[in-house]
Amino acid sequence: MSGDGLTSNSQFASSNSRVCASRRWELLLYPVPLIVLVCVWHILTVGNPQRQFIFSSPEQVLSAFVRLSMSGELFRNAGVTIVEAICGFILGTVCGAFIGLALWYSHLIARIARPYITALATVPIFALAPIVIVWFGIGILSKIMLAFLSTVAVAIVQSYQGAMSVETRYLRFMQVVGASRSEIFRLVVVPSSLIWVINAMKLNIGLALLGAFIGEFISAEEGLGYMMVKASGLYDMATVIVGILALVTIALSLTAIIDQIERRLLRWKKDQV
Amino acid sequence: MSSASASPRVLSINDLSFVYGTGVGASSNENWAIKDLSLSINEGEIVSILGASGCGKSTLLNLIARLLVPSSGKIQLTHHSGTQKIGYIFQDDALFPWRTVEGNLMLAPTLSRDVSKESAEQRISQYLKTFHLDEDIRHKYPSELSGGMRQRVSIIQSLMFNPQLLLLDEPFSALDFYTKLRLESEFHELVKDQKKAAILVTHDIEEAVAISDRVFLMKKGGQLLHEFQINFGAERSPENVRGTQLFAEIYKEIWSKLQEVIGE
Repeated sequence: MSGDGLTSNSQFASSNSRVCASRRWELLLYPVPLIVLVCVWHILTVGNPQRQFIFSSPEQVLSAFVRLSMSGELFRNAGVTIVEAICGFILGTVCGAFIGLALWYSHLIARIARPYITALATVPIFALAPIVIVWFGIGILSKIMLAFLSTVAVAIVQSYQGAMSVETRYLRFMQVVGASRSEIFRLVVVPSSLIWVINAMKLNIGLALLGAFIGEFISAEEGLGYMMVKASGLYDMATVIVGILALVTIALSLTAIIDQIERRLLRWKKDQV
Repeated sequence: MSSASASPRVLSINDLSFVYGTGVGASSNENWAIKDLSLSINEGEIVSILGASGCGKSTLLNLIARLLVPSSGKIQLTHHSGTQKIGYIFQDDALFPWRTVEGNLMLAPTLSRDVSKESAEQRISQYLKTFHLDEDIRHKYPSELSGGMRQRVSIIQSLMFNPQLLLLDEPFSALDFYTKLRLESEFHELVKDQKKAAILVTHDIEEAVAISDRVFLMKKGGQLLHEFQINFGAERSPENVRGTQLFAEIYKEIWSKLQEVIGE
């Protein structure tokens, strides 16, 4: 048996090093599409003020980035958007996960809640934005509420799905040893749904940013959405593009943080070689 | 049942019946999963039930484990020294993948008031030795274990609750032959040494003959038809009895009866 283990291990090791080598190649390829895009953009816009007015240009975007960074405008607005999105995200994920997992307790309440949750999940956040802004003002609170509303439904649906798809063998085991319903919830349902909750978090990062951004877009005094609406009104495409790049950077960074959290929480989920 | 008088009774089942789908419109005569079944088991005894798939073997175990409620009849577990619980070991283990081996085994003191943390700690070490597992397995996750190791840990997980009666639903069938042989021996020794009782449901005649004291054949519809007493003497071990003349004879006898039962 140990001999078998050894051969399969060494086979695995050699295939592993091959994977590492091809990964290194892959890393070199990652920036290629971006470089191509910037080059094409530069070639099409260089020395053509008309096109530069409509499409801006890499040079203009770079100088807008430097200008907005030096004045602190970019970081102040990005900071506001990040705070709105993260507050709404945390609120939405925590409330959603709590509600979704709690629905496991009662099939009746889950059935009654279903159409309402579906309604919440399908209504476009744009449709809710005007009401939310009237109710909560044009400040940061209304954006947090919009981020919350765009994330909570996904968190409820995902965590409820997670709670309902617990493998029966675990439930059967708990039943045989005489565990109570709350013990089953605490020791089986919650930990085994964690993977679904984390998936909800991954989906929700983008939705939270979208919610906050839409709020800013409609009515605000600060934030990336506000900065971009103002700039597009002035046909300052370079600033708009800086705003887009900032949003993308924020989304990627927050996703990377979620990936770290996932790795920490799902340590047990090793590749089953 | 000559051994019945020697050791105390652990389980007695009287006229047990179970009908699936008793809802409105269900026909009354076709759905017997278990019909008028009686069976008793004593301390230190291993009983195997052989039968085709779908004949009601697993239903019987589920009834004994109280996962199902009988339609009629009685299942009585003899309580003594506080240990009356049942350990149920399935073919697919119930190890929680998000807990380490130790975390899984320490579920017993978390869930059962009868098991203290200290005694659980001791028992883990003891059982790891019994089942030839290293101490450092404690900190591994189930996904890092081989099939045989997982099944051993799964058996220990049930034993941690200190059950008197063990129910096994084809627990060794997914393992390779040598791992299976070894695990059968370890299991046989454990039941005999610790005076537990076990009901094993399987479709593997060899396995049934190798480890049990009695073998029953179950017909479709949940009736126990034949009972075979298996006596290899006190010094038997599942590994040694395989290949003996007596083993072959018992095997042949059970096989011919089983063919009749399945054919019926």
